Amino acid sequence: MAVSQALVVRKRLVEVDEPWKLDIYENTGGYAAAREVVTTSSPEDTLEEVKASGLRGRGGAGFPTGMKWSFVPKDIFPKYLVINHDEGEPGTFKDREMFELDPHQLLEGMIIAAFAVGASKAFIYCRGEFALGSRRMDQAIRSAYEKGYLGSGIFGSSFDFDVVLHRGAGAYICGEESALLDSLEGHRGQPRLKPPFPAVKGLYGQPTVVNNTETLSTLPHIFNHGIDWFRKWGSEKSPGVKVFSVSGHVNNPGNYEVPLGTKLSDVLELAGGMLDGNAPKAVIPGGISAPLLTITDIAMDFETLQAAGTMLGSGGIVFMDHTTCMVRNALIAAEFYEHESCGKCTPCREGTWWQVKVLERIEHGEGRQEDLDLLLDMCERMDGRCFCPLGDTAAWAVRSNLQLFREDFQAHIDEGRCTYETDHRTLVGARAIGPGDAGVTPQPSEGIGSDSEASS
Amino acid sequence: MADISSNGTTKVLVGGHYQVAKSIVSKYPNSRSAVLPLLFLVQGIEGHVTDQGMRDVAGILGLTPAEVLASGSFYTMLKKKPTGEYLISVCRNVSCAHRGAHKVINALSERLDIDPGAVTADGRFELETAECLATCDGAPSMQINYEDFYNLTPESAVDLVDRIERGETVAGERGETVRTQREVSYETAVAGARLPGTAGDIEARTVGGESPPEDMKAGDRPKLRDDEGTHGG
Ligand SMILES: Cc1cc2nc3c(=O)[nH]c(=O)nc-3n(C[C@H](O)[C@H](O)[C@H](O)COP(=O)(O)O)c2cc1C
Ligand code: SF4
Ligand code: FES
Repeated sequence: MAVSQALVVRKRLVEVDEPWKLDIYENTGGYAAAREVVTTSSPEDTLEEVKASGLRGRGGAGFPTGMKWSFVPKDIFPKYLVINHDEGEPGTFKDREMFELDPHQLLEGMIIAAFAVGASKAFIYCRGEFALGSRRMDQAIRSAYEKGYLGSGIFGSSFDFDVVLHRGAGAYICGEESALLDSLEGHRGQPRLKPPFPAVKGLYGQPTVVNNTETLSTLPHIFNHGIDWFRKWGSEKSPGVKVFSVSGHVNNPGNYEVPLGTKLSDVLELAGGMLDGNAPKAVIPGGISAPLLTITDIAMDFETLQAAGTMLGSGGIVFMDHTTCMVRNALIAAEFYEHESCGKCTPCREGTWWQVKVLERIEHGEGRQEDLDLLLDMCERMDGRCFCPLGDTAAWAVRSNLQLFREDFQAHIDEGRCTYETDHRTLVGARAIGPGDAGVTPQPSEGIGSDSEASS
Repeated sequence: MADISSNGTTKVLVGGHYQVAKSIVSKYPNSRSAVLPLLFLVQGIEGHVTDQGMRDVAGILGLTPAEVLASGSFYTMLKKKPTGEYLISVCRNVSCAHRGAHKVINALSERLDIDPGAVTADGRFELETAECLATCDGAPSMQINYEDFYNLTPESAVDLVDRIERGETVAGERGETVRTQREVSYETAVAGARLPGTAGDIEARTVGGESPPEDMKAGDRPKLRDDEGTHGG
């Protein structure tokens, strides 16, 4: 059976030329849902509809969107809506694509969300590196203001809604919603203690709904076609469609939109299968933070992946074939976390630094037998003890490489070298260390935020 | 506003730049939110975030220079040293690494005769390794001044450098022309701002110190940053 996509959020950007233009958006049904909601519905009914749709957040945690909105206190003003467009989870590129190509779809979803929760101002936190997306969104916001779709009394109603575009400046942790709010307030982007959750006390201390780009881009379709239509895909707990970003050793890397619960093997088929017809050795199912899978016969939905000890996460799927060195794979992840650790809590700041040191030693052929258990012990000491999920997921990523592919690690130690084709100097990028430097005594001052001059 | 600061350095955010800064500040209910865009503005004018630029930002926002530095130093896109006119950021993360990113980095490093993290002697290029750029579908991929380049080989990456060096116009994967580092920093600074004299210009709110959320109603609890106690940094 040939597998095909279920195009909803990506439909316009696959089928239409220049979908980012307002007239084209409107000619293809755009702004009908938001107009209808704002001019004929009530905030309460809108919220109920989103709850009933079962829509779950697409930013990583999969939290039910309607439920999140219902935590917003009714009687405190102002309230804010904040869009998390900081997409930085390695292996994920779905938000970037839909934001660049279909910015009005997000704006329309934002209008619906803001109306439901009673927010009259929204901020779009757009990742700093996304120059084209920012350009397109800036233009989209301008044209929506000109048409009266944003501003005061939108669509001729009494609802005022302003949208402010804000650029990040290069820090993965700012994708974590409370760090994002600190960053948006002009501080270092470090996570806040929760509770209180942003819905109660968020931006400038006010009730704030933070939602992902894909989550809100889905809303106009739910309102145009109804809940039954949306629920015809997926399961009771994971309804609807989801965009997966597929990359790695596949023939046709790209974004693919399929019903939740689609088999991973079918997603692989959509992406043209593995390069050279190889078999997958390992798969990252939901961004680098999600523990690895070694099978493809598994349904891609929130519950199934959780039961399998991993997560759907951001929907970034990376396939790796037998040429992949899993020590190197673990080191790439560890370096990422070490670089992106915000430095606020010790287990993450120091733990990620030590993970890198030990993994470098193994990859450079200087690993000791006891390093394997040392690594597992470090992961144990980090997992559950970090202030925010970044540190925990750093532990998961390294641990799953080691547990599933211990033989790769063992071979490095036994043979005193990396057994795969690799290039040590650039493997560690700007932080290159030569053979022999691997066992240097760690200096505890590293890993706090990052100064501008090194890598980004 | 005097153009010379008390320590004798020429101010950065004066005249037209000050007007632009004001319109950026006016985007936000609380002026401190403008710290990062204003630092991008300084970078767009000066080429990097200078000490005087930080003092100017502090002055406009009613902060201390140390507070501005504390925020700004957290972010990789804000450069505290002079950078190259063209910043080449090669992704080193998982999808790109497994499809040969290291060969691209090596080739560029050799062509430019610098290690990642350094600037060429003539100040034209800076090479850096980057974390996932959300362009894994074109792995190995990179950005030049934040425009995307896909499916690189060592040769195609070096060729881009050659063409820029010859003064040719270079366009990325999505057809966008590569601008200079100052141009993109400036563009980042003014994203979403309605500049004075342009369509959509909005009346600038009070510049300097805190201003309350514009949509705050009488009787609402003021919820300014300092009573929150939620941040540990
Ligand atoms: C380290 C870290 C990074 C994150 N990065 C992102 C991100 O780039 N984009 C995003 O939407 N959510 C990200 N999240 C999840 C957000 O904290 C939050 O759950 C999400 O934005 C909520 O939106 P949703 O309910 O619509 O998914 C991240 C979480 C963590 C812990
Ligand atoms: S876990 Fe890491 S990123 Fe999260 S607060 Fe601690 S140091 Fe910061
Ligand atoms: S891993 Fe290189 S762009 Fe995502």
